Amino acid sequence: MADTIIRASGFGKRYAGHLAVSGLDLAVQRGELYGLIGPDGAGKSSLMKAVAGVLSYEQGQLEVFGQLLDSERSAEAIKDRIGLMPQGLGQNLYGDLSVEENVDFFARLRLVPRAEAAARKEQLLTITRLAAFRQRPMKQLSGGMKQKLGLVCTLIHAPQLIILDEPTTGVDPVSRRDFWAILAELIASQGLTALVSTAYMDEASRFTRMSVLHQGQKLAEGSPAEILQRAPGSIVLCRAEPQLEAMRRLSAIAGQCEAMGPAIRLFLPDMSAEQARGRVSTVLAGLDCQQLDVLEPELEDVFVALLATPGANGQQAQTLAALAAPRQALDSSALAIEAKGLSKRFGDFVAVGDVSFQVRQGEIFGLLGANGAGKTTAIKMLTGILPPSSGSGMVAGADMKQAGALIKARIGYMSQAFSLYLDLSVVENIRLYAGIYGLNRQQTALRLAWILDMAGLHGHENDLASTLPMGLRQRLALGCALVHQPRVLFLDEPTSGVDPLGRRAFWDILFRLSRLDGVAMLVTTHYMSEAEHCDHLALMFAGRVVADASPHAMKQQLLTELGQLYQVRADNAAALVAPLRQAGFANVSPYGTALHVLTLETERLGMVLRGLGVGQPPQVRPISMEDVFVQRVGQLEAQKAAQKGSP
Amino acid sequence: MKADWQLAWRRFAVMLVKELKQLGRDRVLLAFIVYAFTADIFLAASGVSLSLNHAATLVQDMDHSPQSRELLSRFQSPYFRMDGSVGQDTAALAALDQGRAMLVLSVPPQFGKQLAGGQPTSIAMQVDTTNSVLGFLATSHAQQIVSQYGLESAMRRLGLDDKAAASLPTVQNDIRVWYNPNQQDSWFMGVAEMLNIATVFAVLLPAAALVREKERGTVEQLIVSPLSPFGILFPKVVSMTGVILCGVALSLFLILIPLFAIPVKGSLLLFFALSGLYVFTTAGLGLFAATIARNLAQAGMLSILILAPMLFLSGAWTPPEAMPVWLRGLMYASPLHYYLDIAFGVLLKGQGLAELQPAILGMSGIGLLVFGSGLLLFRRQFG
Repeated sequence: MADTIIRASGFGKRYAGHLAVSGLDLAVQRGELYGLIGPDGAGKSSLMKAVAGVLSYEQGQLEVFGQLLDSERSAEAIKDRIGLMPQGLGQNLYGDLSVEENVDFFARLRLVPRAEAAARKEQLLTITRLAAFRQRPMKQLSGGMKQKLGLVCTLIHAPQLIILDEPTTGVDPVSRRDFWAILAELIASQGLTALVSTAYMDEASRFTRMSVLHQGQKLAEGSPAEILQRAPGSIVLCRAEPQLEAMRRLSAIAGQCEAMGPAIRLFLPDMSAEQARGRVSTVLAGLDCQQLDVLEPELEDVFVALLATPGANGQQAQTLAALAAPRQALDSSALAIEAKGLSKRFGDFVAVGDVSFQVRQGEIFGLLGANGAGKTTAIKMLTGILPPSSGSGMVAGADMKQAGALIKARIGYMSQAFSLYLDLSVVENIRLYAGIYGLNRQQTALRLAWILDMAGLHGHENDLASTLPMGLRQRLALGCALVHQPRVLFLDEPTSGVDPLGRRAFWDILFRLSRLDGVAMLVTTHYMSEAEHCDHLALMFAGRVVADASPHAMKQQLLTELGQLYQVRADNAAALVAPLRQAGFANVSPYGTALHVLTLETERLGMVLRGLGVGQPPQVRPISMEDVFVQRVGQLEAQKAAQKGSP
Repeated sequence: MKADWQLAWRRFAVMLVKELKQLGRDRVLLAFIVYAFTADIFLAASGVSLSLNHAATLVQDMDHSPQSRELLSRFQSPYFRMDGSVGQDTAALAALDQGRAMLVLSVPPQFGKQLAGGQPTSIAMQVDTTNSVLGFLATSHAQQIVSQYGLESAMRRLGLDDKAAASLPTVQNDIRVWYNPNQQDSWFMGVAEMLNIATVFAVLLPAAALVREKERGTVEQLIVSPLSPFGILFPKVVSMTGVILCGVALSLFLILIPLFAIPVKGSLLLFFALSGLYVFTTAGLGLFAATIARNLAQAGMLSILILAPMLFLSGAWTPPEAMPVWLRGLMYASPLHYYLDIAFGVLLKGQGLAELQPAILGMSGIGLLVFGSGLLLFRRQFG
């Protein structure tokens, strides 16, 4: 019985003259995990709040459980069947109350009978594996645990529809996967319908169906497979030397063409795998082509393809062609950053322990790790803010122990908050940082022109920073960090909240900076898809660097250790998890309507699946950086738990 | 060496301009500053008065003799206002309870007869002293009126006239009123309020400016730049000091001097120089609040917590000599206490540097300590 739970027709919401959403149609059926995908400001939250009956709207109609939401009273009638989890980590919870007290509070608030509440609490805490932490105050939980507790509190009154607003934003990849697995389990076992939003494009394939939103408009709707068909074509991932020349040639034939570390990734619309391979080979003729893989497009490629305007791409190609030669001979062996056994202890707590790595001039270096892994502390030591407890380091040719001030003058720093003064205009922000770094009038004028060019800010010179869209704001912040032409640039989660188009433009600028100007960059990010843009990665766990290699090498290592990643499609995919695990396949996880299995035993997997009555053979999927991250951290956490358990 | 100074100056200049621009674009805060330094000071100077004015008085005359009428007629404005009479004791009490009257005067029966017969007699006065200052003033004024009347009727009974009274051995108290010849409350209240407002903003503005940067994350960007902690805080405090001095000038030249005729006996230059020193050093308290607070609301509440005792212990309401010993010690630690001495000294008494030396030394000492610890806290938090 597939009845409609949510139906919106021509839905629109306006805030003080600004249209957040307009003309939106969608229908969510019972039992669906329905996704709303889009960058910040796409209108996801407005729609979700309206569905929950906590926000009035101006245009169109909204029906929930067949009830037309047109007044306070009609909204009141459906509220006991709805659970809403607002955006932000633990936003609806009370920090000083324990896990159990939070759950009890929500149960009483919703007038759940005592016996029923107690039973549901036990069940939910067990599923979310929070039962061991019931006495811990909420504020001491990790981000992922907070979100799980939020989910328990949202579910305590047995709603039929749950609305989760960006439940995975700010949560590390391991906890994020855990959260999706738990959500899938709950939806199946409790007969729920869920409306979930996310800003991560790579989470899209977990939804039954979804709408892709952008600036209050719906770009596409359907199942992940249907949406992928909206922009048919092939992705080519290739490595060719010299990279700059390859980039120049390829960006002439493909609108979407981006550098991924030493590789290049491009989208060729309406081309089959064979056609794409042939086309790229022809274009790259004469270059040293080391690798050429053809992949299926991902949702982000489709999103960008649906949005992309020919004008913007033309501009990118031009700049690349114009700058196709390095301005100066680069000494790529020179070290920009060198950390040797860096440690930082706060009392007994080791925030960073014995961290060593090297970043060469002109290299993009990624520092990955969950919250609390020590990334920020490491950056603080390297930027000269925090003195290390032991160890040493050289940054931009200066010793970080003795020459903190010198380092500060030689590096650029851009943080996730895009530290701009929002009440100052574009030009005023640039002039301020120019003054702080001691540029004189002449130098300031030169750099101002350069930044306006680089960030595409012409026409916005006198706009206040607060009125700029996120993408422009981010590029302005980058410009301010580059005002004094630093040779080393630190970027702390620089792309949070920026839409995929803006992110691509941003990485394009970073690529040019590294290859043409030889700027060395140290980037932290929690977007695993972005880690693939780096030349080199270091993975941090519990204050230590546990892996230090190129993204390609990290993936290869995982392939040899744990095998290929297979996607298994079946009607009853969720029910297959347990039998597969029993059959000895440890790395099985539900993935949307399918299963993901990581294994070396390809043939045995096929056999076991046939034995379980699955007709379709498993398909090989490319391993992503997120797979690598989740596997590595999973192994380390298991080791740590074993160490704790043994003595 | 010259290049270093140039660099430092350039940094200082851009930071100063930035602070002033940011403040200039915060319309709400700007409006609040202008209001506080004009309208608020006008209200304080014209509205608040510490003297007895038209106290509502009821009489319960049970005698109705010429003597009682004469005595009661002496309770007159501007101190008292006759609001009629009451008959019963309960009615009198009810009038006090309900706040319709502040004083009830009861003249007993036989009052006139006893007085005429040469016997001592008394009248009853009930006073509402909820406001202890006004209650005290009402009592003492009434006492004066009654004793004057008693003296006169005693002399009349002895057959002495006004001429003879001069030959009696009475003591005349000749009062010379200095510095505020008409004893206008508006002078004291206006100036005191201006100093209070300056203090409030001296704490609040730098706290708000710093905590806003903390909230927004821009302070991180400044910390990784070559600016030193002093280089970040100094322009902030200088710009806020400038803004507050403009506010003080506004209230002095727009409100206090033209509307309340406050005389400026001393040097205005000295007054502004010392005000600048005071505001600059007091800003350290704001920095202190901003380092502890995590957001603007917390910083605001912390500032109030710091300001409340500072204002009460300033000596504006009670001089240190009248305080309990332990509070007196705290008073000497409040920079506002010295600033009050300085401001009243320069504006009303015409004091110069020589007379103000102890106050200036006290204020600078405490101020430097406060500013230094604010800077130290900031350095420790972000260093």
